[in-house]
Amino acid sequence: MDWQGQKLSEQLMQILLVLFATVAFVTGYLMGSFQIMLFIYAAGVILTTLITVPNWPFFNRHPLQWLDPIEAEHYPKPQPVASKKKPTKQYQK
Amino acid sequence: MHSVLYRLNTLITLAGFLLAVMCSLASFTDTFHVPSVTAHAEVLKVNRFRKQLTGNDEVSLTLNVSMNLRSTFTWNTKQVFVFVAAEYETAKNSLNQVSLWDHIIQDKGHAKLEAQITNKYPFIDQGSHLRGKKIQLVLHWYIMPKTGKTIEDKMVISDFRLPQVYT
Amino acid sequence: MGWIGETIDSIKSLQIRHVLSQAVSLGMIVTSALIIWKGLMCITGSESPVVVVLSGSMEPGFKRGDILFLHMSKDPIRAGEIVVFNVDGREIPIVHRVIKVHERQDTGEVDILTKGDNNFGDDRLLYAQGQLWLQRHHIMGRAVGFLPYVGWVTIIMTEKPIIKYILIGALGLMVITSKD
Repeated sequence: MDWQGQKLSEQLMQILLVLFATVAFVTGYLMGSFQIMLFIYAAGVILTTLITVPNWPFFNRHPLQWLDPIEAEHYPKPQPVASKKKPTKQYQK
Repeated sequence: MHSVLYRLNTLITLAGFLLAVMCSLASFTDTFHVPSVTAHAEVLKVNRFRKQLTGNDEVSLTLNVSMNLRSTFTWNTKQVFVFVAAEYETAKNSLNQVSLWDHIIQDKGHAKLEAQITNKYPFIDQGSHLRGKKIQLVLHWYIMPKTGKTIEDKMVISDFRLPQVYT
Repeated sequence: MGWIGETIDSIKSLQIRHVLSQAVSLGMIVTSALIIWKGLMCITGSESPVVVVLSGSMEPGFKRGDILFLHMSKDPIRAGEIVVFNVDGREIPIVHRVIKVHERQDTGEVDILTKGDNNFGDDRLLYAQGQLWLQRHHIMGRAVGFLPYVGWVTIIMTEKPIIKYILIGALGLMVITSKD
């Protein structure tokens, strides 16, 4: 998931949950049934989980552009010290 | 960037919070509901009226009660607990409330009832003050919600006077 | 396996400053929970503002695992109210309904008798030996609000301590290894 995808999923989560809560409450109240309210809301929460939690491809449409590794070419890393140590070891022997 | 677990955590927190909001809103809608209860009672017979060995007066009554509590039910009502209490004042006690009979109503279909009852719990005074005493029968009901606040109310359904002599 | 390896790595790479900041944030969580609890005590005036129903004696009104909110006001106690009371010699408070009230003319003291909705008889058998009535000082509060099922968490934790330790351990691990 990239940054844009994260923003999208977070907004989707909030909007969907609030929407389902409102719909569930209004339907439950109008139909006079607490159970219907809970069922609609539970279904809504599961649906929202399925949409926003897994790493779906459509959250990955804006991959990060990393800089090219110029630095490494210009300033090569110092050689590992292993080559220096070998002689010291030989001294001890 | 957020991991799957992090997103799941956010979702569960928000979902739980919204559920709490919905429940408190549901309890809130009950405050606008004004039930109109009708009830009536009369004492058919004083079965027994005596002084116990401990010196306390004891009464056994047969009552005829009818009530309609259908209007107390809303979508957030789990049950209505209803009881009839005898209430009176004596020289010793400024208030005596003795529950005589109670009943749990779990759905609207059973909220209208008419019954002949004898007291389910012993009607015993603290002391011997009951001869010729004026007694109020009061119907109390407690609307217990699925979530939220319990609503209580009461209504006087009968006045009567106990006999001057023991039976 | 990668996740476990990462976790172990992050434990290995702990720095003192990091550990301290985690300890402080853990302390913040604990103290804020304490503040909420004590604040509730002040507002409701009850020793324990929230209780979990442990028995089925008030069914179908209150089931095992439901949570009750208590309130202790100066208002007199009346028949029909659901009160939480302590009996001398009993550890666990009981939640039952008041069925009889006798309020004294001169002193204003009350004698109260309770009964569980689902029990056959009144509560005299539950009271201390020879006790006929509850007095005001036995009452811890009256139930004013209600929330279903939430109390199961505490019931499970008290009855299966292993789960409690696993949960505390997991939470501790999460706090230690979180990287914010």
